[in-house]
Order: sequence, then structure tokens, then C-alpha cells
Amino acid sequence: MKQESMFSTRVYPVLFMVALTAVFISVVSGIFLTTEERVRLNESIFQKRAVLYAAGIEFPRDNPQKIQEIYEKRVQEVGGEDGQPDYFRIELPSGESGYAVYVRGAGLWGEIVSIFGFRPDLETFTGVEFVEQNETPGLGARITEQWYKEQFRGKNGPFQLVAEGASDAPNELDALTGASRTSEAVLKIANKAAEKAQETVQQGGE
Amino acid sequence: MAARGKIKKTFTDPIGKNNPVFAQVLGICSTLAVTNKLENTVIMSLGVIFTTTLSGVTISALRKLIPGRVRMMAETLIIASFVIIVDITLRAYMPDVWQQLGPYVGLIITNCIIMGRAEAFAMNNSPGLSLIDGLSSGIGYTYVLIVIAFFRELMGTGELWGITILGDWWTNWAIMVMPPGAFFMLAIFVWVVKGVIIKEEEAAK
Repeated sequence: MKQESMFSTRVYPVLFMVALTAVFISVVSGIFLTTEERVRLNESIFQKRAVLYAAGIEFPRDNPQKIQEIYEKRVQEVGGEDGQPDYFRIELPSGESGYAVYVRGAGLWGEIVSIFGFRPDLETFTGVEFVEQNETPGLGARITEQWYKEQFRGKNGPFQLVAEGASDAPNELDALTGASRTSEAVLKIANKAAEKAQETVQQGGE
Repeated sequence: MAARGKIKKTFTDPIGKNNPVFAQVLGICSTLAVTNKLENTVIMSLGVIFTTTLSGVTISALRKLIPGRVRMMAETLIIASFVIIVDITLRAYMPDVWQQLGPYVGLIITNCIIMGRAEAFAMNNSPGLSLIDGLSSGIGYTYVLIVIAFFRELMGTGELWGITILGDWWTNWAIMVMPPGAFFMLAIFVWVVKGVIIKEEEAAK
């Protein structure tokens, strides 16, 4: 039997993998670096859209410059680190000064991260946007649909769930048919949102 | 002529009787996971077509250099790089879609079809043929997923591509958008294709 040389069995595979890794990492890094700016911009626009939506401020969805403009005019980020403020102080469409805070909670499959907007009383919602969720597509993930989010505007807790499409009073929230666990998760989040907002804003020195 | 016959066979096999999903039963994880919305399915499929095609070409071009012992490491590295390129591109240029697909894009790396084609085809054939094989394997995967997603989204939500198709009279079959719905649909699909179409072809011979 032919003996393979030490080089071809031991050294070459290692050298080959090192070279291949270097080449591919360079290509991937190159693409990452060229798109980095754009990705960061996307993320920041995504957050800005969420805050404006939660505050009930209208904006053109597909126009990043306009969103940026409206945001800078109306929203002030308070505390926190770069890109993740503790809370937002917002000039509401009514002229009052409202707030928005991040509220997190457990969903069915993973964490639900939402931004709740508040009127100056820190009790009444101006709206909500769910920025991260991993609920079942077609069932629980319907929390991201417009009609579902719209129901939060003008409401204040503590809430109770009613059948889908039946909410009427300011303390009632529509549940989602076929997604009881998600509905309950959102109920929990909505119920603690006001408390979280009051705490955060007070800590911020207001 | 023989070459052309081989090209044709390379292209039609993965779409027809040697389909990666219903004949080789590969890529089932993503078939089950993403098919409850047509939009996600189409974008996921485009990602898979891109990756199978380009990884096939690249692996085939390097096949004489790749040492046998580390070939799987090399293949995984190449596949993963292309998938990350898809991920980064979506993230930069289609952020809304990227948000929805979430971790699924990264999971293309573990799609057995890509590794399967790399091992079974690209390591033994020319880059040109591997390109055709990768492309047609991707297409074979895509159309099966689209058929399944079509029925799942339509019956599960009454919508297609997010647009309401079935009116208020339709009661959504919640099970269709949940994981069991995917098992049922895939099984029905395999049954129809294998039991009806392929059997008829064999009977005709």
C-alpha cells in the first residue's frame, strides 16, 4: 500500500483550511462592513418608527428622512446608553407631553419586547408597538397586525381580556382567537406597562 | 449529445422524480417551519436557491484542492459564508422581511439539501454541472414549499401574501398555521405525488 506523505495527510489539510477560512472570512467581513452603516440606519429607523407609532404620531412609513425629521422634532431620548434610552419624552399630537417606554415580558415561544406610549398621566396608553416577538405566525404573531395594536390607544388598565373583536370599555383588551397564551402574555405586559413607565420616568428625575 | 443529455437530466432530476423534498426527504425542518406564510416561504426559498447554486459551484471548483479528510469542514464553511451573505443582504436591504424571517435565514446553513448536494454532486462534477444541479435542487425545493405554503396560509388564515382572499364565511383552520398542519400538508403532498403521479408514470412504461 502506498504510504501518503506526512505533508498530504497532516500539514496540507490544516494549511488548506486556514487559507479557505481566511478567504471566506475576508469576503463576509467585507460585505458586512460595506452594509454596516445601512444596517445601523435601518435599526435606528425601526426604533424611531416604533416610538412614533406608539405615541400616535403620523409619519410616512417608507420615508426614512421624513421619519428622522419628525422624530427629532417631537421626541427626546432620556437616559440610557447609546441607541437604548431609558425612556422617550414626546410631544403628542394633542400638544401634551407624553412618554414612551420599553416593556418586556415572556411570550409563548420567546420574549416579547414592546414600546408603550403614554399620555402625561402615565396611565393612559397612546399606543403600542411590538418590536420583538416570536409568537406563532398566523396565530399569536397577529399581535403585530394593525387592528390589534390600534385597540390600545386611549385605554388604561388594569385590563381584562374579552373575545376577539368584543372590546369596548377602556379596560378591555381583545384576545386573539386561537392564541390564548399570547393574549395572556400581552395582557400581563400591558398590565405592568404603566407601573414600569412611572418607575422609569421617576428615576429619570421627573 | 451525451453531454446535453446529462445537463438535461441534471436539471430535471431534482425537480421531478429525485426531488430533494418529497423523494430524498431532505430539508424537512425548514419545510415545516417557514411554510405557514407564502411571503416568508418565497424569500426563504430564494435564499436556498442562491446558496445551493453558489456553494455548488464553489465547492465543485475547489473539489480537487479540498483534502478528503476535511471536506465536510470546508463545505460547511463555504455554505455558511453564502448564508451569512444572504442574511447580511436581507438585513441591509429588506429589513422588514429580515425581521419576520428572524433565525430561519441562519438555519439555511443546516438545510440538508445544500450539504447533500455538495457531498453527492459538487464533489464529483464540474462547476458548470454543479451550478445546474444546485439551481434545480433549489427550484425543486422551492415549488414544493410554495404549494404547501399556499394551502397552509390560505386555509389557516384565509389570506395569501397577507391579502385577504377568503371572506368572512371562511373559518380559519388554526391547525394549518401550526406545526402539525405542516406535517399533514407535507404528507398529503408526498402521497399525491408518489401515489398518483409517479405510479402512473411507472404504469405507462
